[in-house]
Amino acid sequence: MTSHLSGSEFVDLAEGTLTPARAGHIEACAACREQVETLRSVLRDTSAVEVPDPSPLFWEHFSSRVREEVAAAPRPRRSGWDWLGIRGLAPLGAVVAVVVAVGSGALLIHDARTGQIEPQRAQATMPAPAATDPDRGFLDPGLDSDNAEVWAMLTAVAEDVTIEDAHAVGMSVHPGAIDRAVQGMKPAELNELGRLLQNELKRSTD
Amino acid sequence: MLTRAWTWTADPGLKVTVTNPTDADLVESCLAGQRDAFDILVERHQRHVYQLCYRFVGNHEDASDLAQDVFIRAYRGLKNFKGQASLGTWLYRIGVNVCLNKVAARTPKPESLEPLLLRHDQRVASPEESAAEALLRGERAVQVRAAIAKLPKKQRATLILRVYHELPHEEIAGILGSSVGAVKANFFHALNNLKKRLRDAGTAGTGTERR
Repeated sequence: MTSHLSGSEFVDLAEGTLTPARAGHIEACAACREQVETLRSVLRDTSAVEVPDPSPLFWEHFSSRVREEVAAAPRPRRSGWDWLGIRGLAPLGAVVAVVVAVGSGALLIHDARTGQIEPQRAQATMPAPAATDPDRGFLDPGLDSDNAEVWAMLTAVAEDVTIEDAHAVGMSVHPGAIDRAVQGMKPAELNELGRLLQNELKRSTD
Repeated sequence: MLTRAWTWTADPGLKVTVTNPTDADLVESCLAGQRDAFDILVERHQRHVYQLCYRFVGNHEDASDLAQDVFIRAYRGLKNFKGQASLGTWLYRIGVNVCLNKVAARTPKPESLEPLLLRHDQRVASPEESAAEALLRGERAVQVRAAIAKLPKKQRATLILRVYHELPHEEIAGILGSSVGAVKANFFHALNNLKKRLRDAGTAGTGTERR
């Protein structure tokens, strides 16, 4: 005789999903057969218990109560862009703004050699930075080789986006605000930005 | 599922109408500031949420309060809804947490027989069931609910979601944050515990009708 059924197998058997090979065990095992019959019986008793349905008037009151509470609650918002420090903007607008900031080359670049932050003209065709390359001149420690792809995409996208695009989606770009947000990103945040950009670009080209 | 057209005004003054919007459409509308989109979600899911709560607490007043709490929490946390599971499953998850927290804090109110008698009155018209049978069934229901109320929390949640809401084991595992194997084991133990409690109450194995 095969081994007794486990608890999970009893459940599967009672629900009719146990494999025939294992289900065949109860033909030869009276104890398991009795157990599964008892479980089925309890299941029948349990499932027969209904919840009394409230009156239609109750549902009207219920909806009203929820509506009142909801009206008093703060409006929920997507939080995906909170970390950018540009709350309340439509994602597309934010994407365009960041891209414009990159494309306009107005990023504040941190030069590790001088230890100063100074505005530099970023080239749209600028190659992806690598933190390990001291000759790049772009030495933001947050931009390691893992972010090279994201950076390349950012700069490539920026070639096709103008400041008018940002205004067209209701954005006004305050000089320096987005730049600082991008510059202050951690690698994981930059990766997330890349992901969002890719999604937006994919959506806009679909 | 509730079916109706959902219209709102998008900027700048563009009217958008969606016939029979999906839950995902309505969630997006809520997040875009259309509070009344949430009304439709409430209408769609209120019955299931209420029933879930009732299964945990066994009385209308508490079930009503808890169901309301579930929806308010859902609204406040709507931005956290990722859409990986259905909205219904997400609401069940909130509901289970709300109910377990609530029932852990107090003993459930015992059900009185008065509502049973009232419900019995509503069923007298049924030709298949005599008054005595209806009353007996009502008493048995009270015993089963009382037995369920005494189950350990996870067993109770598993049993309610599986038997009354017919959720797959995988979905229950997601809601309770456990494995499918653990869900099945909990379900097995829940049924065994119920069997013992109902036997003590003289109800087990009566073989009442299936839904």
